[in-house]
Amino acid sequence: MGIKQQETIAKSNAGHFSPSGLRRGALFFVILFCLGHGAETLSASWWDDSSNLAKQRLQMINGQLKNRGITDPKILRAMSTVPRHLFVPDHLRQQAYRDGPLPIGHGQTISQPYIVAYMTEILQINPQHKVLEIGTGSGYQAAVLAELSDQVYTMEIIPELAASAGKRLKETGYTKVTVRQGDGYHGWPEAAPFDAIMVTAAAEFIPPPLLQQLKAGGRMIIPVGSPFYVQHLMLVEKKGGNITTHSLIPVRFVPFRRSQ
Amino acid sequence: MKRAPLPPLQLHLALILLSAALIAFQLEQMQLLALIQWHHFAYLIISVALLGFGASGTLIALYRSSLLRHMEWLLPVLMFACAITMALALPLSQGISSRFDVCLLFVEAGQTPLLLLSQSIYLLVFFLGALPLGLVFIGLSHRINSLYCANLMGSGIGGLGAVALMYFLLPQQLPALTALLPWAAGILVIARPRRMPLLVLAALTLAVITAVLFQPPPIRPSQYKDISRTLDLPGSKIAASQPSPYGLIELVTAPALRYAPGLSLTYEQEVPTVRGAVFTNGDWFGAVSSGQASFLQATLTALPYAMAKRDRVLVLQAGTGTDIILALENGAQEIMAVEPQQQATAISTDLHPPTTPLDHRLVQRSSLTPRTWLALHRQAYDLITLPTVGSFGGASGLFALQEEYLLTREAFLELWRHLSPDGVLQVSAWLDSPARNSLRLAATLAETLEEVGVDAHQHVAAVRGWNMITFILKRSPLSNDDITAVRSFCQRLQFDPTLLPGLQAQERIRSHAPADPHFLANLDSLFSPASRSELSSSYPFNLAPVSDNHPFFSQFLRWQSLAHLLQLFGERALPFLELGYLIVLVSFCQITLAAVLLILLPLLRLGLPGRSGLQRWTIPFFGGLGLGYMFFEIMLIHKLVLFFGHPIFAAAAGISGLLIFSGLGSLLSGHSLPRPANHGQAAALVALLLLLYFFILPPLLQLAITLPPMWKTLFFLLLIAPPGLAMGMPFPLGLSQLANHSKSQAAWAWGINGCVSVVSTGLATIVAVELGFSAVMLMACAAYALAALSTAWS
Repeated sequence: MGIKQQETIAKSNAGHFSPSGLRRGALFFVILFCLGHGAETLSASWWDDSSNLAKQRLQMINGQLKNRGITDPKILRAMSTVPRHLFVPDHLRQQAYRDGPLPIGHGQTISQPYIVAYMTEILQINPQHKVLEIGTGSGYQAAVLAELSDQVYTMEIIPELAASAGKRLKETGYTKVTVRQGDGYHGWPEAAPFDAIMVTAAAEFIPPPLLQQLKAGGRMIIPVGSPFYVQHLMLVEKKGGNITTHSLIPVRFVPFRRSQ
Repeated sequence: MKRAPLPPLQLHLALILLSAALIAFQLEQMQLLALIQWHHFAYLIISVALLGFGASGTLIALYRSSLLRHMEWLLPVLMFACAITMALALPLSQGISSRFDVCLLFVEAGQTPLLLLSQSIYLLVFFLGALPLGLVFIGLSHRINSLYCANLMGSGIGGLGAVALMYFLLPQQLPALTALLPWAAGILVIARPRRMPLLVLAALTLAVITAVLFQPPPIRPSQYKDISRTLDLPGSKIAASQPSPYGLIELVTAPALRYAPGLSLTYEQEVPTVRGAVFTNGDWFGAVSSGQASFLQATLTALPYAMAKRDRVLVLQAGTGTDIILALENGAQEIMAVEPQQQATAISTDLHPPTTPLDHRLVQRSSLTPRTWLALHRQAYDLITLPTVGSFGGASGLFALQEEYLLTREAFLELWRHLSPDGVLQVSAWLDSPARNSLRLAATLAETLEEVGVDAHQHVAAVRGWNMITFILKRSPLSNDDITAVRSFCQRLQFDPTLLPGLQAQERIRSHAPADPHFLANLDSLFSPASRSELSSSYPFNLAPVSDNHPFFSQFLRWQSLAHLLQLFGERALPFLELGYLIVLVSFCQITLAAVLLILLPLLRLGLPGRSGLQRWTIPFFGGLGLGYMFFEIMLIHKLVLFFGHPIFAAAAGISGLLIFSGLGSLLSGHSLPRPANHGQAAALVALLLLLYFFILPPLLQLAITLPPMWKTLFFLLLIAPPGLAMGMPFPLGLSQLANHSKSQAAWAWGINGCVSVVSTGLATIVAVELGFSAVMLMACAAYALAALSTAWS
């Protein structure tokens, strides 16, 4: 899964060199240029770009995830499979694998790779689990979840983001992810109950329907913070009739101690 | 040198108009940029742009003779150019702002050039406005007293005018309207010869202004602002807009809007959608309730009502009235709602039906700030509620430099005095990580109770949910019934009792485990003086309660912990801990660097001080005046916020009152009335007066705080008159003294004064944060003393 994107890049790049609108002289020049060293350069550039991004993804796994204690092989495999650069805006593609969140428009961000991996790890997903994500954003988190489970449901309230994420997930081969545009408050009652719920667009309160749709023994994770800085992650667990929360600080922050 | 053949009246009038426009434009842009981005971005842009004043002095010092030679036509041309840039600054900066975002400044490298470009646009406006002022001051230095008077008077009038217009016009309409003032000033200074080309230019300028005036650019707030994110929701719309000096107030409706902070996880009913949300300058102000409020009983804020019935309730910073609804639901008989932003609460009446909880017959309203209201009234209440401290998710430390007079030691002592014998104070804080707001709040409660001489452990209870903590401070010791009621409230709603007499360790983390395993131990140690002191010295953030002299509740960063914090959080995350303060530091460094360059540049032509006839006292004297004036002005605004009970009036009265009296002082310094013999004595007089005011100003303002508004204003004007008049004298006296010696040096002095004034605004904020406002006042005094001493030394 997730290999089709290379073809997508090739197709979209090829589209830019359509000669239809060019004047004859210019076309002649372009052909000459391509026949000479131009074609070679373009091809090399594409290849360099693609292999460079793959290299960056590998560096992300080693430098950002393993170093900070992400050890679950399933999570590492998922993170190394999903082409993060296809889930960020075009102009930020080269920065896709850097150690931080990136803006995706509408005041939303694609989370820092480590936070994505850490939240996914906390949910302890197995292939039989049914997973709900509230706040699809770019679709990247849903793609990572889809590497671990075949039953991923994701909701996005902003119509533009829902549409673009749905399209992107299809194009990158994540066809089993079910995307719906709608108000995350209500959750997805038809598909409930869920083993795991990820609320990426945190609100000041946890909607009661989401807690009701969480299976007994299920886990919910909520990142708390501003668009560019996750303060802590809230793990909500449903055990018997009780709901408990555990505030987690990402490992890289290490438990906060007094300076001496 | 040629003198401008202009009638003095026209010239003075032109200076008044131009000066009024410059200050009005500054205030308007602060608000506009705060609306498009945040207040801190506005500060970052405008503080740097004001260096245009310093740059104008540098240019005149370098090219004095040729500029003065062409002054006749330069004056109107510059004024028209200033008018055009004023009108076009917003559309141009909006073009840049569409790609710039202050949130991305520390995330994307490409944002820095965009920031510099924005700053340059505004710098050009102030440069083009300051250049004619400087040219007139230097070219006609024999009339400096009256010209400087016109400049200061105009600035004072401009400040008042801008605030008045903010009540009636939308922010985007104001700059083009203001641009008419320099345009009119330009018309006034058109000399008879070579009149036609200038009139053509005037007509073109008017055409540009009119075009922007009738077609103001649309405002596009940052995508990260609360209002933008709300407007992204399907079916959302702006239902009403209302200009105000606090900022643009907007009411947004959206079918999916819900608001239930502090809601228990056990609540299973529907959380109703709200009728709308109110925003000021694009930032969240409050939700307009639909009236279905049963869910409020399942929030942390319902705790005081679970303990006992509360008949008389005081709601401070009532916002859109959620706490009032809760009080009414619980049978309160008398509710006092104090909310200074009346327009923000009134806008919800634009919805149909136009009812708001603030209109309920049991609710009385006041538009004073809470502290002023507390100072004016003596009634006791069964329950006093404060707004929730901090913000959900931390808001990236944007509010580090916000003055919070309701959360100071003095405020809590005042609140204690307003509690009935069994009354309680309720205050909640969003839980942040690392813990700061909740711990400082606890430290403030503990110190307050020590001050009034009671055992804090017997008077304070706290209850915690997954993202919020609520403190209860009771006037009488917590009874067994109270303790039982708190426990049962927690059990029913699965909250954790966090502070309560006789609490077991296991009870405290039954449902919600905090992020920091030391959190509860840290909280406990705040309630005994010895362990509080130990924690305060070892905790990486400053947790000490804040005071009226140092009212920055949300500022926690300690410089000595910086390396430790960098190690913990990494350099990328650190800016988001206290972005507000960081932006002030960044702009301060930027301004200081530019100011030093602007001050030193003319020395290439003038030579070094002490040589080539360059007066040694120029830098310390004019620098001292710039620093002293700005420091006093900023300290004055700070004092007046409590005195007038309204930050906007405080700024308008403080700035305009001081400027107008200084203008009169400048005028007096040119007459043969009793006055200081020279500029050094004038500066010494100001230093002495400021020293006197350091001691008498706070008690006198405190004494007069209960006066009716009219008498209060009169009292303030009388109080401010002596230093105001004196502060207007040293600059014109010094400038005319210097101009007699060398006009180039006078121009340089004008630039020094401008540069140092701008540096001083940032420096005053840093001094206030680090040392308190008293230190700002003392430094103002020291700056004038330095100015006086520099002349004696020379």
